Amino acid sequence: MLRKSFLVLLLLILTCSSAVAEISKGNLTIAGYLKNETSVGLDTFNEISKFKNILQLSGEYKFNSELAFFMSTKYWYDAVYDWYEKYDTAQLYMGHIQRADWLRDCYLDYVWGQWFLRLGKQQVSWGQADGITILDRLNPVDLTEYWLPDMADIRIPLWMLNINYSPKLNSNLQILIIPDFEQSTAAPPQAPFSFRSYRLFVKAKERIEAAPGSANKLPFGTLGKNYNGTLNTDIYYPSKQFRNSKFGIQWQDRIKDWEYTLNYLYGYDYLARTYLDDVTVQIPPFPANVTFNYSRRFKIVQMLGGSINRSFTQPGLLQGITLRGDAAVYFNEPTYYGDVTSGASRGVNRWDNVFWLMGLDKTFFTDWLVSFQFAQYIMQDAKPGVDNANTGRPYTTMNSYTYGAQDQVENIFSLKVSTDFLNERLKPEILWSFTDDNQGRVSPKITYEIKDDLWLTMGIHYFYGEEQDSNGQFRDNSQFYTMLKFTF
Amino acid sequence: MKRTVLLLLGLGLFFGYALAQELEYFKVYKPKSGMNADEIMRIKYFNKYTLFAHDVAYTGKAYFIDKSGAIRERSTARKRINLGRHSDGIAYKDLVVFTGPTQVKGLATLSWSYLDPDRDQDVWLWLPSLKRIRKISASQADDSFLGADFTVEDITIRRFEDETYKLLKEEDFTGYTSDFSKKTYYVGTPCFVIEATPKRANWYYAKRLVWIDRSYGVNIYEEKYDINGKKFMTLFRNHEIFKVDGKEYPIQVFLEGKDLRSGHTTVIVNETVKIDQGLSEEEFTEQVLSRSRW
Repeated sequence: MLRKSFLVLLLLILTCSSAVAEISKGNLTIAGYLKNETSVGLDTFNEISKFKNILQLSGEYKFNSELAFFMSTKYWYDAVYDWYEKYDTAQLYMGHIQRADWLRDCYLDYVWGQWFLRLGKQQVSWGQADGITILDRLNPVDLTEYWLPDMADIRIPLWMLNINYSPKLNSNLQILIIPDFEQSTAAPPQAPFSFRSYRLFVKAKERIEAAPGSANKLPFGTLGKNYNGTLNTDIYYPSKQFRNSKFGIQWQDRIKDWEYTLNYLYGYDYLARTYLDDVTVQIPPFPANVTFNYSRRFKIVQMLGGSINRSFTQPGLLQGITLRGDAAVYFNEPTYYGDVTSGASRGVNRWDNVFWLMGLDKTFFTDWLVSFQFAQYIMQDAKPGVDNANTGRPYTTMNSYTYGAQDQVENIFSLKVSTDFLNERLKPEILWSFTDDNQGRVSPKITYEIKDDLWLTMGIHYFYGEEQDSNGQFRDNSQFYTMLKFTF
Repeated sequence: MKRTVLLLLGLGLFFGYALAQELEYFKVYKPKSGMNADEIMRIKYFNKYTLFAHDVAYTGKAYFIDKSGAIRERSTARKRINLGRHSDGIAYKDLVVFTGPTQVKGLATLSWSYLDPDRDQDVWLWLPSLKRIRKISASQADDSFLGADFTVEDITIRRFEDETYKLLKEEDFTGYTSDFSKKTYYVGTPCFVIEATPKRANWYYAKRLVWIDRSYGVNIYEEKYDINGKKFMTLFRNHEIFKVDGKEYPIQVFLEGKDLRSGHTTVIVNETVKIDQGLSEEEFTEQVLSRSRW
């Protein structure tokens, strides 16, 4: 309904605008690409873990200097889900292995003096951080391939009103009204980048629903393994009402050489959390029937934050350095707690958490760009071993990706070095992101421009750490990959 | 990516770098008889950076030609506004957008240049792969620009104060024949020949020989020499004279740089040029950069 309303609104603006009369040749631009992404596991080099073909088409029509329409569509197909039986479960969960975003982007831009409106399906990014989403939480994310793709491909566009007003030069007030809702997506169980927490949950369901008395059966209280188990999971989406929209506001300005933004976001978090609603035991008959009712629910979260950046352009020790930073407080952010040994969540607590980052960039030795980031995710109220939920059970705060232990203060680092050779045709880059838990990812890559319209990228994603760590959970999934992109 | 940024910046500054010029903005200057090397070079920099105009907008293409003759191409749209404003020290602002090929389409930079010759530019980059703006550090002067044919400072950040000058002679230019366009330019054009020596010690070149058109005070050709006196780079610029409100503006419309060591050539062609359209400073903000659709 909301999408239809948006389309009607766009059409109304188009048809009511005098600009329609000005449609002329040469204002239409169409471009796109065809890309193959192939990866093989570093441990099992003979086995392909991705063979994905992507077609994206984008079109822009400029009615005049004030009004323009843009849309893009994307289709992709990963053949490995067909090739290997081990991905059958993943395929079952995904429903299908090929997808099309017929309307990945679809919006109308209108500039009127100090006003700028972007109405339609779009993605909006806030903040200064690279690869770490501190303020960048306006769109849900597709983590089917973890955080490896470009952010523009990870964000899931939503229908929204993006209203901008510049009261003075270099300042901007942005108001976002997002009545659309989609949940963030993750890779299904058994897919190459399936989260451990998801795998554990599915495994627990299989053990609960296994035949009574079977070796794999999950014991339940005094019944032990002698029961018929059912695990139900319902997902509750926010109802499609305007009051359930997400609202965002950003003020952007500068004080001397410092640029800053102030940001506020209110609305449903795009990541559903799993809650155990109740457990029912029916005796007789024998063996007993035990039903676990879980629900996946989305919760309202508020974010208050800001960003800064400055390039030091004046002569001095700092000249040439760009400093940037993000900081945010998430109010009532849902966080799992439970038993990390068995990997079982016992519930969800809601705390006020803080996430901040500082980044430094500088070019050395003529053309070696070095970019360093340090971030801290602070769960102020998390005190492992203390029962904040008054359940009478000890618990540990859990990493939602893995159901491993989550530190109260998580220190995150990233270092990126890039340069180029052969008249800009060969561009090597290495990214090392890691935490103080001795886990992380090293991703070197090389991009080569074969022709204007043909680009080849080769690289490695090497994961290390413990199974319970965000990156460590994929330590057996380190991969070598190629991307061949033909543009038109 | 870095070189792409450099390309954007360089294209934006193809006609401009307004640092510490003593000549007054928005006027037209031409060399006169009896001027010394410094006076001629001040006019040369003033004209190179189009400080006579309030604003300029171009569309054009850049070609990268390797030793084998293979050509890569980029197309761009760019515009700049000259301010010469002492209250905040801003000399001018540039906005450059790649319009092709598709792989780089939408990549854009906004740069602010300052009157203070020692101050770096402020640079913002729109990254299509991230769909957001990234503030970046200014480029290093000796970094290669457009591959290896010439450097960033050749195109964007060399200023009058960076070198010392000696007027060697006056002569008629013998002409320059472009390998790309197959045309011969400036045959018999009266020129000043000036030797420019960098003030920085151990710099990547030891001297430049610069041919300045006597009529309009523009640099049409230069040769760069290393510490052993060996020529390693040439840079040619063709200009067209645009008449605006009765004034004559010399605008670069064709640039060809050759790295004699690698055999690589870079060509920049301005296909359309619009001058003094009345561009507003509001068109050179982060907000405008963030409206990119690609």
